[in-house]
Amino acid sequence: MNIRSFWFGATLATLVLPLPAFAESIQAMLYKNPQCSCCEGYAAYLRRYGFTVDVKPTNDLAEISSKAGVPEKFQGCHTMFVDGYVIDGHVPVNTIRKLLSERPAIAGITLPGMPWGSPGMTGFKHGPLHDLRGHQGWRAAKGLLHGMRKGMLVIGSLQPRAK
Amino acid sequence: MHSHSGPSINRRALLIGGTALAASASLVRAGRAAPAEPNVVELTAAAGRVPIVGAPYPRTDVWCYGDRVPGPEIRVRQGERVRVIVRNDLPEETTVHWHGIRVPNSMDGVPGLTQPPIKPGESFTYEFTPPDAGTFWYHPHSDSLRQLGRGMAGAFIVEEPTAVSVDRDLVWMLSDWRLTSEAQIAAGFGNAMEAAMSGRVGNTVTLNGAVPDEVPMRAGERIRLRLVNTSLARIMSLRFEGHRPVIVAIDGQPCDPHEPERGRILLGPAMRVDLVIDMQGEPGRRYRVIDDFYEGLSYWLAKFVYEDKPPLRAHHLEPSPSLPRNPLPEPDLAAAERHELRLQGGMMGGGMMGMGGMQGMSHGASWAINGTSMTGDGHANMPPLLTLRLGRSYVLTIRNETAWWHPMHLHGYSFRVLTRNGTAVPHRRWADTVLVPPRDTVEVAFVADNPGDWMMHCHVTNHQVSGMMTVLRVA
Repeated sequence: MNIRSFWFGATLATLVLPLPAFAESIQAMLYKNPQCSCCEGYAAYLRRYGFTVDVKPTNDLAEISSKAGVPEKFQGCHTMFVDGYVIDGHVPVNTIRKLLSERPAIAGITLPGMPWGSPGMTGFKHGPLHDLRGHQGWRAAKGLLHGMRKGMLVIGSLQPRAK
Repeated sequence: MHSHSGPSINRRALLIGGTALAASASLVRAGRAAPAEPNVVELTAAAGRVPIVGAPYPRTDVWCYGDRVPGPEIRVRQGERVRVIVRNDLPEETTVHWHGIRVPNSMDGVPGLTQPPIKPGESFTYEFTPPDAGTFWYHPHSDSLRQLGRGMAGAFIVEEPTAVSVDRDLVWMLSDWRLTSEAQIAAGFGNAMEAAMSGRVGNTVTLNGAVPDEVPMRAGERIRLRLVNTSLARIMSLRFEGHRPVIVAIDGQPCDPHEPERGRILLGPAMRVDLVIDMQGEPGRRYRVIDDFYEGLSYWLAKFVYEDKPPLRAHHLEPSPSLPRNPLPEPDLAAAERHELRLQGGMMGGGMMGMGGMQGMSHGASWAINGTSMTGDGHANMPPLLTLRLGRSYVLTIRNETAWWHPMHLHGYSFRVLTRNGTAVPHRRWADTVLVPPRDTVEVAFVADNPGDWMMHCHVTNHQVSGMMTVLRVA
């Protein structure tokens, strides 16, 4: 992805995020479809891991997501802004922490398609969430973030793995 | 109690109406010649620029009928023949579907299935006699997401043979738009994530083509309010502060007059509800009409503003009378053949993932009916899911196995809504579009008296075009 989308995401996050009340608590603003219940499950999951999550229902999710730099085909069911990054879909908490500690020059991470067993979703995981390397121009790197250029890290699976 | 006759009340309505009050009076009244001659209406589909939001915003580039949003209101009397000549000045093919009117199959406006599409620069003449009085509407059935989403819709009102006694008859065409900050229609109609969720719900709701504001009312008057939801995907749940509306018709078909549950009128895409409201507010006061369907996203749609004048009449009126019934054949439930339609797919609850193993899924589909996805807006050689015998009664069980709401529309018919989750539906409800909440099951019944290949689909347009569509053949 490009610098513009990265910076747009950063600006938006700055606008909507209150200053952190506690240094150790990660502040997040999560925009969700008003009729999607699994997004609440994801917010609850993040809170269990010490995040402070502000949930805001919106019918403009597609606009928010694409303006933040998430390509249409990789849009998740909710869009969250954390410390200048966009997190789209059910991204695991460890991945977010790694992102925030390493601070790579990317716009954010998306995990589209609501895979079963991903955080906040019901069902069993069919296998590890894997990167979608090879999807036209979207770079996903081994070890998640190492060596990323500016862009959107796409992880997860659009299809269930064979049992 | 005060009783009144229709004609005198109507005359009075004209007197109090004036120009300001007649906000939604008919724009086009079809010319009426000798009774045997059809009403003739000309409709041109073309690009236009209309002031949706109002100053200081620029006009919005739309596609529309008759250079206005909503399109010209067509108003005829029950049993009168109507001829509509549709000219296509759009850069792409179109058709017109007369939503809810029980037309002959060849007039139904589904491209490929019931007629060849109308090519740019060409015309098509629709001609039929609406059998039922009521509130109907027209819209394209070709490239529906873009054409309907860019503004192509109009009211089609069929008046009862004798006037219903109300002071004013208002039509509210409610449309949902996704506008940019420059008041232009946002791109991205075919967004895949939205298709698998609640569809393209917008950010701006208009009433008769403008961002609504104040609707003048007179204390003591009785209005008939015809609500039409022309949105691509937005479901509405309307409540009227300080008023007690009575539902007298649903999807054009009269029901037993009743107050809505919890005071809310639930209106999915393509649905219509006719209300009778006695304006019992205080002169000079304002009352909001609120839509609070989406949790946390409630807004007020309009404000009733009472003129600072004494009430129109001193006494309360008697309760709303039933509208005269339309000539619908009553299904024979004991002898009816039963079929099940399972609505499948979408995000959540195993939805997207569950689709992978289904048979008949075409590439890119997000939804299915009984495991099969038909995508788009209609085309030639669509295989029917069911073949129904002409004249026989049928009960369809519509089972929503998804996590999302679906307003299910059957072309060419009105059906009796029998049960919801096993409980009988009261008020003798008929409909052509039934809203099925997540995991709910609805039973509907009808007599298969109108031959042809009829489309049945979800009227969340994104759901329709991405697989929640099928065909019922009546032969």
